[in-house]
Amino acid sequence: MISYIVRRILILPIILIGVTLLVFSMIMMLGPYQRLSTYITDPSQLKSVDVDVLVARHGLNDPWYQQYGRWISGVARGDLGWSESAGDPVAEAFLSRFPATAELGLFALLPVVLGGIILGVFASVHHNDFWDHVSRVLAIIGWSVPTFVFGLVMLMIFYGHLGWFPPSRLDSWAADIVNSSGFINYTNFFVLDGLLNGNLAIVGNAIRHLIAPVITISILWWAFIMRITRSSMLEILRKDYIRTARAKGVTENIVVYKHAVRNALIPVVTVAGRMVLGLLGGLVIVETIFNIEGLGQFMAHAAQQLDYPAVLGGTLYFGFLLILINLCVDVSYAVIDPRIRLE
Amino acid sequence: MKRSSILILVLSMVFVLSLTVGAFAQVNNPTTFTKVNMGTIDSLDPHYQYDNASSEIYANIYENLIMFDDGDVTQYEPMLATKVPTLDNGLVKDNQTTYVFPIREGVKFHEGGTLTPEDVKYSFMRGLIHDRNGGPWWMLYGPLFDAGGLSDITVDVVGVEDPSQLTPEQSREVFEVLDSAIEVEGNNVIFHLPKPNPTFMSVVVHDNGLGAIMDKEWSIEQGLWDGSPETIAEYYDPDKEEIPIHEKTNGTGPFMLNTWEKGKRIALDRFNDYWREPAQLERVIINYIDEWSTRKLMLQRGDADVAYMDKQYQSQVENLEGVELVTGLPNLYTGYGLMNWSIATKGNPDVHSGELDGKGIPSDFFNDIHVRKAFNYSMNYEAFINDVMAGDGKQARGPIPEPFLGWSEDSAVYTMDLAKAEEEFKKAFDGELWDKGFEITILYNTGNSMRKTATDMLKFNIESINSKFKINTRGIQWSSYLDRMIQGKFTLGFIGWGADYADPHNFTVPFMRSDGTFGNFKGENYKTWAIDNGIDELVNSGVETTDREERLEIYKEIQHVAYEYATDLYLYQPTAHILKREWVKGWYYDPILHDGIYYYPIYKSAE
Amino acid sequence: MEWQEVALRLFKNKISLVGLILVISFGLIAIFAPWIAPPADPSEPYMVPRAGWGFEPKPPSAEHIFGTAEGQYDIFYGIIWGTRTAFRIGFIIVGVSTLIGILIGTLAGYYGGWFDEIVMRITDIFMAIPFLIAAIVLTTILGQGLRNVMIALITFGWMNTARLMRSQVLSVKEEEFVIAADALGAGDVRIIFKHVILNTIFPLVIEASMRMGSMVITASTLSFLGIGAPEGYADWGQMISFARNWILGGQGNAIRYWFTVVIPGTAITLFCLSWNLIGDAFRDILDPKLQ
Repeated sequence: MISYIVRRILILPIILIGVTLLVFSMIMMLGPYQRLSTYITDPSQLKSVDVDVLVARHGLNDPWYQQYGRWISGVARGDLGWSESAGDPVAEAFLSRFPATAELGLFALLPVVLGGIILGVFASVHHNDFWDHVSRVLAIIGWSVPTFVFGLVMLMIFYGHLGWFPPSRLDSWAADIVNSSGFINYTNFFVLDGLLNGNLAIVGNAIRHLIAPVITISILWWAFIMRITRSSMLEILRKDYIRTARAKGVTENIVVYKHAVRNALIPVVTVAGRMVLGLLGGLVIVETIFNIEGLGQFMAHAAQQLDYPAVLGGTLYFGFLLILINLCVDVSYAVIDPRIRLE
Repeated sequence: MKRSSILILVLSMVFVLSLTVGAFAQVNNPTTFTKVNMGTIDSLDPHYQYDNASSEIYANIYENLIMFDDGDVTQYEPMLATKVPTLDNGLVKDNQTTYVFPIREGVKFHEGGTLTPEDVKYSFMRGLIHDRNGGPWWMLYGPLFDAGGLSDITVDVVGVEDPSQLTPEQSREVFEVLDSAIEVEGNNVIFHLPKPNPTFMSVVVHDNGLGAIMDKEWSIEQGLWDGSPETIAEYYDPDKEEIPIHEKTNGTGPFMLNTWEKGKRIALDRFNDYWREPAQLERVIINYIDEWSTRKLMLQRGDADVAYMDKQYQSQVENLEGVELVTGLPNLYTGYGLMNWSIATKGNPDVHSGELDGKGIPSDFFNDIHVRKAFNYSMNYEAFINDVMAGDGKQARGPIPEPFLGWSEDSAVYTMDLAKAEEEFKKAFDGELWDKGFEITILYNTGNSMRKTATDMLKFNIESINSKFKINTRGIQWSSYLDRMIQGKFTLGFIGWGADYADPHNFTVPFMRSDGTFGNFKGENYKTWAIDNGIDELVNSGVETTDREERLEIYKEIQHVAYEYATDLYLYQPTAHILKREWVKGWYYDPILHDGIYYYPIYKSAE
Repeated sequence: MEWQEVALRLFKNKISLVGLILVISFGLIAIFAPWIAPPADPSEPYMVPRAGWGFEPKPPSAEHIFGTAEGQYDIFYGIIWGTRTAFRIGFIIVGVSTLIGILIGTLAGYYGGWFDEIVMRITDIFMAIPFLIAAIVLTTILGQGLRNVMIALITFGWMNTARLMRSQVLSVKEEEFVIAADALGAGDVRIIFKHVILNTIFPLVIEASMRMGSMVITASTLSFLGIGAPEGYADWGQMISFARNWILGGQGNAIRYWFTVVIPGTAITLFCLSWNLIGDAFRDILDPKLQ
């Protein structure tokens, strides 16, 4: 097992190079004038510009390996380049947006996973029952109605009418405090920083702004987790060893919770892994609607603007995370089902 | 309970309740103004920025020599100068080639310096040397040097095309030329123009970043041009991210920078040592939020005082409590369909067969005046204005918008007339076009519904004239659109131009001159036609005189030429609007600042 | 299990019956679309006709029974022809990407060793590309259009199936009957085909049926970001993304434009629901332990 893990980690850089090369080559399939659109985002900017000077300055006409080489040698030195769409160095652009996305993801993780598993177990135990049907239909609605509909309706009701959960991460007065010199930004996770600075007002305000987007995300993911849990539970509940346990007189509850749930978790782990990835990659729609300047929105903008240093930086980040998570998932398969051997 | 305790209880309840009355103040945050806008700031360097979002910031932090009188672009008022130079007061002389600006005394910069005439000269010199690619400096090089930019001067003086290659010697020679145009004499700064030019004042007026006055000592300290004649090469056309004042400011304006969170939010504080009465607002915060619905909700809750709104959503904001929409404001903007007279056909799917064979269009499709006129007659102007723009705006009458010189509501324009369109199509290419038909693809930039609609309208009407006419409409990403424009591959594209400064020359050049921004994209055939038919000369003549009557005739002529030769498809002039809370007072509209707000006169009050 | 018995079981199960009826109804709508909503321009039936040029959506009326969306696109037409689009998107993307995933996953899982390692790392590479970024860049290169959207979704949609297949194969490989068959000398290919695939395909059928619905949702997310089908194309995701700026209503009436959201939303939800029910029914029926 250890050697397996070590091997997977050693291969990591190779894969990352592979990924970035793939993305880079996709971008290079576009002509230099198309890639010039990173710097000229509006027709009004064509007023007095000499496009060929711009192309030359940004090296857009250089052979692809030269451009990629420039980027990767920069990375080797720790310089991820300049993001035109953010107006900041790529690393800074990422670091300033990562906390927003991560905070959202972390706060959403527990309710989503727990809620989804509980709902799924509930539905499976009431298989073909009224409650099973109801929860399944509700889950499907939650998953198929586009996120922006829920998000905007939430905003409308809980902010527009009630004023309880405003958009953005903080109110203006709180943002002032956070930006002031008296407040130390340890992590830019406002809830955490608020605690570390002993400022409960900030903590409260940050949480208040997190509630609506977290619920919106949850509605989407509950369905997913619930469904997988349910179907996998149903499968397990029929298995031989369950029947044996029942025959032996083990109480139904223990049968369900001890034996079944543990084994049903395999596919759930896969899905949860995907989910964490999605959360850490940011949800563009939720971030756009609730005005949370996170990675999802940033990467979507960067891609639309063909801001390739940012896109490649994002690919590195995402790729790294994904490989790590896939590794965890694969390892947990082996842990849960000892019959699976990791070669 | 004892009576006295009841009394105390009631009194304390009343006391507590009275405290909450303040909590229900009619105006949220009376001294802080919050705007929710779209887009993002490009740079805080006033000489670099050339976009709407950035210019709003510059306009509140920096000041120029003169300004408009409360948004009236025909009236100047002194700002950092104490008098507006005019012929009458003798500050404009020598056949209008000399402009004298007496400089105000006792004006403080945010970082502590005091304004002197040297600061004024330095600011202009720095900008002229900076002349970044794609920036606004061509506007000043025209009147001040009769050139297009610094490279024109370096070519003239030392034969070097790229100013960043200048040796210290050459730099010195070029510097002489620049230096001689701006003179400091006592308390005055004097500009020397090569010949009279009516646009000079409208270029240096406040609202135009290139006229922003900076503190020489502070700027040099920050690493901007060191003031030496030999270092032009180092400071020419810098990369945006390397400019020291990209994120820092130091102006004389009523507000100063507090924080700028790129792409998210910018906060300004009142400058209490301002040379006029300090502003009434203490704080201005601008949030950049891309989602319209979110901005709208914030405005409704009163968490925002002004929200940026796309005109299309106008119908949503009527009858909202506490919110008012002020519209019908003059917008110096012309939206039109740019026609490419020499379409690059190689590797271009939009021309299909590339021949006049009924299965495509030839490269010189729009070179034929009958085709152009036919297209002009096929546009449903009324429906566009009434339905698409919900009646808020008017048909464009040519390149020059209202209220500039040359615009007249009686001038000849095209109206939708499918019979005439048919006539023109029949004459096109000596009748060949009518017989064979054609197929063309017109592109629009995805996400721009207005432009897609204009394209759909053309398709709808033209296809009904002759079944052999086929128009495809296709949406593409901006990057591909840009690529096609630069390579001359687009066929017809709807585009627009908003005023940089308040003069018709700012419109005639890009639209009509062969080397104008759009003229450049119209192909060789247009260039030849414009030069041969004296269009370039006509456009230039507009600024070779300062006589109003003369200019009026010239611009009327230009407006008419555009009609007579159907050079393009002039479509609409929208109105401007502002969506704000009713408690926002003191605001006036500035057509050059456009969506941007000048916060100095603004206050919030419930009356 | 024989297919006739599968079909019979499907019909008997009440839940799956509902799902089946829904899918068949959608199918009928898709087939008869040209008669239900005759196209204005026969050469481009997927372009939704515009009832005018104004911006504001108009509520249901006699002429336009579902009303018009932003830009006066007829919602009824969009829903009817959008049914065809939904099936096309679903079948093509799910079909092709599942096939690719099955092939790759099975081979990797069965042969194991270096081959497995390399294939899985390549899968990692494809998975590591943030899907949205890849879709946006790919669409810019290929241009807009439904076909290119499908290419993008297929290119980045096979990996999960491959991984799932592989993990199933890994589990089954250890099962006795495979080891037995191997011991009996049955050839490699036969073993793979007969035992492994047939026995592991059920979770995939279930997964595939779920994805029929989810493809429509993904396409609608892409429309939301401006890279889906071209504006005016008959696609449910597009129709509902038109509603984005009108959800809050106007002039103090929050549900003024309800039809722009509810109608396409209902179509999407019912479509997803029906495939889900069928998928669940398949699971109930095809579970080998129930035989």
